[in-house]
Amino acid sequence: MGKNAGFFGLGIIFGFALSRVGASEFDLIHGMFTGEDYKLVGVILTAIIVGFIGVRMLQAGKGTTRSGQKIQISHKKLGRWSLLGAALFGIGWGMAGACPGTVLAQLGEGKVLGLLTFGGMIYGTYIYARLKENNPEL
Amino acid sequence: MIKTILNSIFVEPWPFWAGGIVIGLLVPLLYYFYNTALGVSTGYGNLAKIIFRPRNLGWIKSQFPDSWNWRVYFIAGIILGGFLSARFSGRPVLTTEMGQFTTLVGWPALLSALYFFAGGILLGLGARIAGGCTSGHSIHGIANLHLSSILATVFFLIGGWVSANIIRILLMGGGG
Repeated sequence: MGKNAGFFGLGIIFGFALSRVGASEFDLIHGMFTGEDYKLVGVILTAIIVGFIGVRMLQAGKGTTRSGQKIQISHKKLGRWSLLGAALFGIGWGMAGACPGTVLAQLGEGKVLGLLTFGGMIYGTYIYARLKENNPEL
Repeated sequence: MIKTILNSIFVEPWPFWAGGIVIGLLVPLLYYFYNTALGVSTGYGNLAKIIFRPRNLGWIKSQFPDSWNWRVYFIAGIILGGFLSARFSGRPVLTTEMGQFTTLVGWPALLSALYFFAGGILLGLGARIAGGCTSGHSIHGIANLHLSSILATVFFLIGGWVSANIIRILLMGGGG
């Protein structure tokens, strides 16, 4: 199976899981911040623990991919403005009740307002590309 | 028996742990198959390139030489996954409903559209400045015990707490 097809398949599983567990519901994200519903906290914490154990198991084994390549864990470094960006992201998260992954599940579910969030994210990424021209540190 | 199992997978909402296990497994699976970190928001750079076709933006040129790479297929898959989930549980194909935003805020369509578009801009811009989103930082990064991702997630949560509670108080009639 080609790489693109593989990602398409894993994407389907991801979107299906996000939708079935309710991560694509405005109320679940809003409720996590207002203290009405902590289900999403449970989802994220479980995912972190499972991800942690899974990566450890890969490393405890051969530490290689299926094709024998050495696994290299990507490490995101923080820049000067990263935490400001994270706060902006958070404000958008609480406003729209969605994040870059869950809004895609919303699109599949036919949530029309999710399409606006999605369009805004593409435009916001474009704004970043424009700002980056004159602010290389961003 | 089989019907009950199928029903709880395809029709009923999943308990938190089921969603967490499936989503968390994507982190080792993506490394095992493709030596790739779980992450969604970078793919919006592909989409921005495909839609806006900028000719002279250095960041787009250097980071996204190939617009239609695996990130676009991953995004397309997530959309299809949401579609299948909604179909199996018999939800309408299109809906203008957005939970408590619809029931408690009740803004006219145009204003609601602007509101979600503005939220999206903050998500897109913020994710790029932060270097990742909920999947890349909060799940992949913390699962690998990266301090940078723990810090980013703390600021994601602070931002979300502030905006959600301001909305709760100003637009949703406060309280619970």
